[in-house]
Amino acid sequence: MVPSLNDGKDLSDYCVEFGRKLGSSYVEARYVKDTTKGLAFRNGEPFSGGFSPSTGIGVRVLVDGNMGFASFDRLEKGLAEEAITIAYKMAKNAKRKDPIDLGQPVSNKKKWEMPVREKLTDIDMDTMMSFSTDVNKQMEGLDAFNFLVRSKMVDKYLVTSEGTQIECELSYLLMFCYMTAKGDRGSEQRNIDFSLAGGWERIADTKLVERVGDETQRLKMVASSAIKVDDLLGQPVDMVVGSEVAGIIAHENVGHPSEGDRIMGREGAQAGESFWRDLKIGESRVGSDAVNVSEDPTIPNSSGFYLYDDEGIKARKRELIKNGILNEPLLNREFGTRFGIGSNAAARSSAYNREPLIRMANTFFEPGDYEFNELIEDIKLGVYMRGFKEWNIDDRRYQSKYTGSEAYLIKNGEITDTMVKRPIMETTSVGLLSSLDAVTKDLNLNFAGTCGKSDPMQGVPVYAGGGELRFRQIRLGGVG
Amino acid sequence: MVSETPAALVDYAIEYGKDKTDAIIARATLSSGSQVRFSQNAIDISKRWEDLKLELFVVVKGTKAGATERPVSTKSDVKQAVDDIVEFGAILPDSPFYAGIEDKVQPFPNLKGQYDENFDAFVEDAPGIINSVVDSAVEEGAKRVAGAIKFYKRSFSFKSSQGPEGSDQKTFFDLNVRAFQDELDYSGQGLICGVKPSESEKALLEAGAKAGRLSKQSIGAKQGAPGTYDLILAPTVAASVIGEIPELAHPILVMMGLSPLGDRIGEQIAPEFVTASDDPLYAGGLASRVFDWEGTPCRTTKIIDSGVLKSFLHNTSTAKMFDTETTGSSDLVSFGMKVLLPNTSNIVFNNGDFGIEEIMDVSRPTIYVTCNWYKRYQNNLTGDFSTIPRDAMFLIERGEMKPIKNLRISDNTMRMLSSIDALGNDRVQVYWWEVTTPTVIPTMRIRDCRMTAATQ
Repeated sequence: MVPSLNDGKDLSDYCVEFGRKLGSSYVEARYVKDTTKGLAFRNGEPFSGGFSPSTGIGVRVLVDGNMGFASFDRLEKGLAEEAITIAYKMAKNAKRKDPIDLGQPVSNKKKWEMPVREKLTDIDMDTMMSFSTDVNKQMEGLDAFNFLVRSKMVDKYLVTSEGTQIECELSYLLMFCYMTAKGDRGSEQRNIDFSLAGGWERIADTKLVERVGDETQRLKMVASSAIKVDDLLGQPVDMVVGSEVAGIIAHENVGHPSEGDRIMGREGAQAGESFWRDLKIGESRVGSDAVNVSEDPTIPNSSGFYLYDDEGIKARKRELIKNGILNEPLLNREFGTRFGIGSNAAARSSAYNREPLIRMANTFFEPGDYEFNELIEDIKLGVYMRGFKEWNIDDRRYQSKYTGSEAYLIKNGEITDTMVKRPIMETTSVGLLSSLDAVTKDLNLNFAGTCGKSDPMQGVPVYAGGGELRFRQIRLGGVG
Repeated sequence: MVSETPAALVDYAIEYGKDKTDAIIARATLSSGSQVRFSQNAIDISKRWEDLKLELFVVVKGTKAGATERPVSTKSDVKQAVDDIVEFGAILPDSPFYAGIEDKVQPFPNLKGQYDENFDAFVEDAPGIINSVVDSAVEEGAKRVAGAIKFYKRSFSFKSSQGPEGSDQKTFFDLNVRAFQDELDYSGQGLICGVKPSESEKALLEAGAKAGRLSKQSIGAKQGAPGTYDLILAPTVAASVIGEIPELAHPILVMMGLSPLGDRIGEQIAPEFVTASDDPLYAGGLASRVFDWEGTPCRTTKIIDSGVLKSFLHNTSTAKMFDTETTGSSDLVSFGMKVLLPNTSNIVFNNGDFGIEEIMDVSRPTIYVTCNWYKRYQNNLTGDFSTIPRDAMFLIERGEMKPIKNLRISDNTMRMLSSIDALGNDRVQVYWWEVTTPTVIPTMRIRDCRMTAATQ
């Protein structure tokens, strides 16, 4: 039998009681029940289907200022006691000289859910197959195309020894397309995450099938038309990037370095540290006045949506960079206390068996004052980079690289039909953000992704985006 | 309530499921894991995981194939799991990629020494050992030390309605330790992994010491100049950049456009002194196993033999599709959901002849890279990629090693494989964040690699 939510709640309550009896100063138990079902296709043919329910409880105990974590998947009292006792003993043996402090006690009680009109539990396999057929048809003509679709529903219950009780329901459609186009100019590939948050209605609301078709045609054009444009290499040029590229820049160059645990070194051996460490919040300039990047988990219909985080803190918008100046880091309770400003509800856990960590939700460039044509009209030589493929950034989040996929030559104030093959923006974070001079008025959170961090790896669903951005005088790292 | 044993659970799954399916495979895995994470010279969190998972693969109505994974405790849970996946499988479309599973019962090879009898005692000792690892890094010159050790004990039982069955138990661990100075720039890494944590304390401390030494050697690292260099890749980097290539000898990845090896069987893709295998029987390998997920006995498969691409990995279905034999490589792979596909075990390269001093004895501009992260492809079909060296990196010039920083390897994996000019005799097993397939590999020197840097 798949355990009911009440089974998990009862045992979670017991875990808190048991952890307190052992001598923990703080105990939190999080019961997570999720169900995933999905299909995988290669060139339109289904090659597998799966259905996986999962349940489990994760417990954190604070013991003399040392943190322990225990998780177990069977809802057995004896197993819970055994796992919590081992975590308690290991934590006690850690012997930190500088005790972990979670700050002021929190006792929020709330039930919340992701807004859903058509529940994913009501979607039968025929409907999922029919939708998948429509998606696969859009990709016909590509050299290879793969489509993965999964529905995932999550119930969570969080209870703490301080009196917090949070219940929530989440609903996701996780969808990925892996596309290969071959043309006169070689092969080009894209892996696009089309994941949605909410119910089945989100497919129609977002015109998802049409979007897949649009991206397919664009990739075919890149493979058949994109060329190396040598003129772009001899001199700095102006770069205009689409909202997808804006999203990855917001996420990688701003969101990650703003994570308080990285700034204080806790991710040192995994996702790394942060160049923010040596800067001053509220004072240090890392970009031009045009740089305004925010983080907001409260945006409905987004993958990063939540109203209370996984430590029970009420979610709110965070303004990471305002007018080019560092403004606010992302914080959980531990690091909120260390920064002296409290948590801003950035704690997320990807599963019952993962500790809550500081994570992004939805990260974006705030809208600016420009129309798109205004970004282009005074550019003598430049590139409009609508999308990207390869990217990476160092673990202090300072040296980044974005290689364009669909990109067009801009000449004398106009976007030309000339497609530019693989323009490379290889810069530092400050070098890039300092060259931003204009942002369009719109905000598109159309870059969906799974953000990875920690060890064991925790992938959490996020969105990112912005309007179109214009960077002045960028010396490209390569073309073609 | 106390859980049933893995053996009892899979016995029941097959007994209950065999008449409801054309074929069913069940595997139950009992796992206890722990981790100690640390940073800034102090332990941040100590973790304990307890899991009992049932995985099922079913074939219904001829060629409808479905799979599931879920936690279970009792026979009642198993019954529900079988009913759910049979019902789900029946409404799936036919799978063109299912062509059968192992139906012969064959003896499995022997592989001993994969289990640490003193594992349980190690669990409570681990925080103290980690504090000693931190001390060993500091003694070698580190100011700040971070890292994580994970250690697991697993036992499983497996049974197929087609006949094969078996069980096994294993232990394994991995430590990643990173040492820093006060600055962000000057860091070094130490790695160690294996199957017997209780016998590895000396190696754990040495990993900490190595991280400390490299961090100290990195002090004063200068911005590197972009350009073309010969690269010396430490095993950690070689495993990420070159060690992944044999994993791509995978028929489904080829069909999906995610491998550069598609039409290259028989082709010389590496120098003659390079041989790489998938070796599930490698003693001490983290992914060692004696039978695959269908119950086919495991064996060593040479993927690159003296530089020539020799073989792909197959399970029963892909072998039939490609008119060849299974390599005993079947696995229930996470591919968004669980799918029965071929999969690598341990990737094992041959050891080389060169001592590390000989490899470093160079007359051309050469960079020694000790660690990397964030490898991303521009094109999986061609191997165009980039990755970022992190931690200690050195320019070797006129017999001197000078620390440098802030460069990126921007090249092509297949070109780099073909341009290896020396293999070290220092082969080690690499497994960490960036290398998730255990890879046994030596230091490699590679000609004419492209290094790039930020333009502003």
